[in-house]
Amino acid sequence: MIARIWTAYRFELDKAARRRFTYLGVVLIVIAVASALLIRPVSRDSEADYAFIAYATPIALNLLGLLVLVTYCAGLVSTELGSGSICLALVRPLRRHEFLIAKLLLGMTYAAMLTAAVATIAWVIPLAFGDLTGVTYGGETVFTATDMTAAYLFGALLALAPQGAVAAYAIMISTLTRSTGAAIGSAVGILLMLDIVKYPLRIAPFVFSTYIETPWRVFTSYCDGLDANWFPDTAYVLVNSVVYTVVFTAIAILSLSRRDLHT
Amino acid sequence: MGTCIQTSHLTKRYGAILAVDNLTFEVQTGEVVDLLGLNGAGKSTTLYMLTGLVRPTAGSISIFGKDLHRNFLSISPLIGVLVERPAFYDYLTARENLKLCARLARREVTVDRALDRVGLLSAKRRKVGGFSTGMRQRLGLAQALLLEPSLLILDEPTNGLDPEGTSEVLALLRQLADEAQVTILISSHMLHEVEGLCDRVAIIHEGRLLSCERTDALLSYDERHVEVLIDAPESAAKRLEEQPWVESVEMRAGRLEVVLRDENAHQLAVFLFAAGYRVTGVIPRQRTLQDYFLKVLNR
Repeated sequence: MIARIWTAYRFELDKAARRRFTYLGVVLIVIAVASALLIRPVSRDSEADYAFIAYATPIALNLLGLLVLVTYCAGLVSTELGSGSICLALVRPLRRHEFLIAKLLLGMTYAAMLTAAVATIAWVIPLAFGDLTGVTYGGETVFTATDMTAAYLFGALLALAPQGAVAAYAIMISTLTRSTGAAIGSAVGILLMLDIVKYPLRIAPFVFSTYIETPWRVFTSYCDGLDANWFPDTAYVLVNSVVYTVVFTAIAILSLSRRDLHT
Repeated sequence: MGTCIQTSHLTKRYGAILAVDNLTFEVQTGEVVDLLGLNGAGKSTTLYMLTGLVRPTAGSISIFGKDLHRNFLSISPLIGVLVERPAFYDYLTARENLKLCARLARREVTVDRALDRVGLLSAKRRKVGGFSTGMRQRLGLAQALLLEPSLLILDEPTNGLDPEGTSEVLALLRQLADEAQVTILISSHMLHEVEGLCDRVAIIHEGRLLSCERTDALLSYDERHVEVLIDAPESAAKRLEEQPWVESVEMRAGRLEVVLRDENAHQLAVFLFAAGYRVTGVIPRQRTLQDYFLKVLNR
């Protein structure tokens, strides 16, 4: 089964590499990072330059990046259902759940790609035009450049967990309709609706989208010269994301398995 | 010759609609069989169930002696499938599409050979998004033939093809069945195409199998309906109308179209010769698949 999933994943990667939207999404979030310079310019001042990274990363990744990821993943299955190209894959020796897991892996790879693109640009700009020597307070170094880099890298890695849940969510929606527009609209709409109602309904701790910004809290605190702990937030992020990824994937598999694939 | 496809009490229900009803039939290895029926008769649903794309509500499918759903991973590489209106990844070239299909099956195949067989080799580097309907259909066939399958399941294989393309594809399919013993199950409305290609014709109506007969038996001569080429058709018509074994006589373009009460064209020929007419032809009409189809459907 793993060999078949791997083959299907490479099949998906090959297709993704030829799709324009794959690159368009990356370009959009790179532009978003660069645009953050208008609000938080770099100035050869270490605090301000870390503040640029702390500002640009969530803006690019958690707002626009999230929309790009949801749009991308919501089209992964619905487009194939709509056009009928899904039949090309599913008449081959490949089970439907393997096909979906390959799609999920592609979604997660895309999330990682977006994160890597944001991280690269967010750090390259201050490295080139600013000063990243650590965070000081009253002339004393509170967090060294290494501390800051480590906090950012761990945050970026941790961010892949909620992004994986978001990818699984969008793919689940994608299996429910043949219309790419309906899939994207529903996925984005439900996500926005959840964000509006989760606090009044006091369900925020149980909603997967709540934890999208959590991985960056430690880095943001460090930027302000404040210490912060990774735990228990890391545990919440991981448990919530893994549970939701599993649930969304299971629903997607169930939905696709029961679907009759007429062209 | 063994059994290639065997369905038993195959049933598919879409909500309140019974698309396929208790369908039991067999296809032997190397046979070419056509599923024939009106629109919505259940032909495509049956084919899709045989490819695993549609799940039966009840019944079982056995291909090469194995249950399809339990052994899908081992059976599917042996089956080439062409669905109706085949879809591809438009942003990839014809060659790239087929290479991806081969990769999914984890088989090393010569993609160009499949493209050449369907006459698409010259378009292999063109993106599929710019293909015409006929070219897409050809690519669909190339995709079905890609892994040199032992069984081909083809839904409307000549759909969208020009007359030349149609005859090429039909010749290719017949060749595959004759030379490589490939079993072919198709669904086609093109009765004249089916007549020349298929060994057997299965007629499906409202999801049920009404008949499954050998094509050569169905296309035998009908000795009740006889065309007569004769030197004095008007006089011969009058004489024939008086005979008790003649049901009707019609003159059309200088020829007689005679309907006999029994299948006995010989009796007609003997009578006309004995009456002294100069007969140049007594031609029983060949039955067509359309006749048979309409007869089975009581139309």
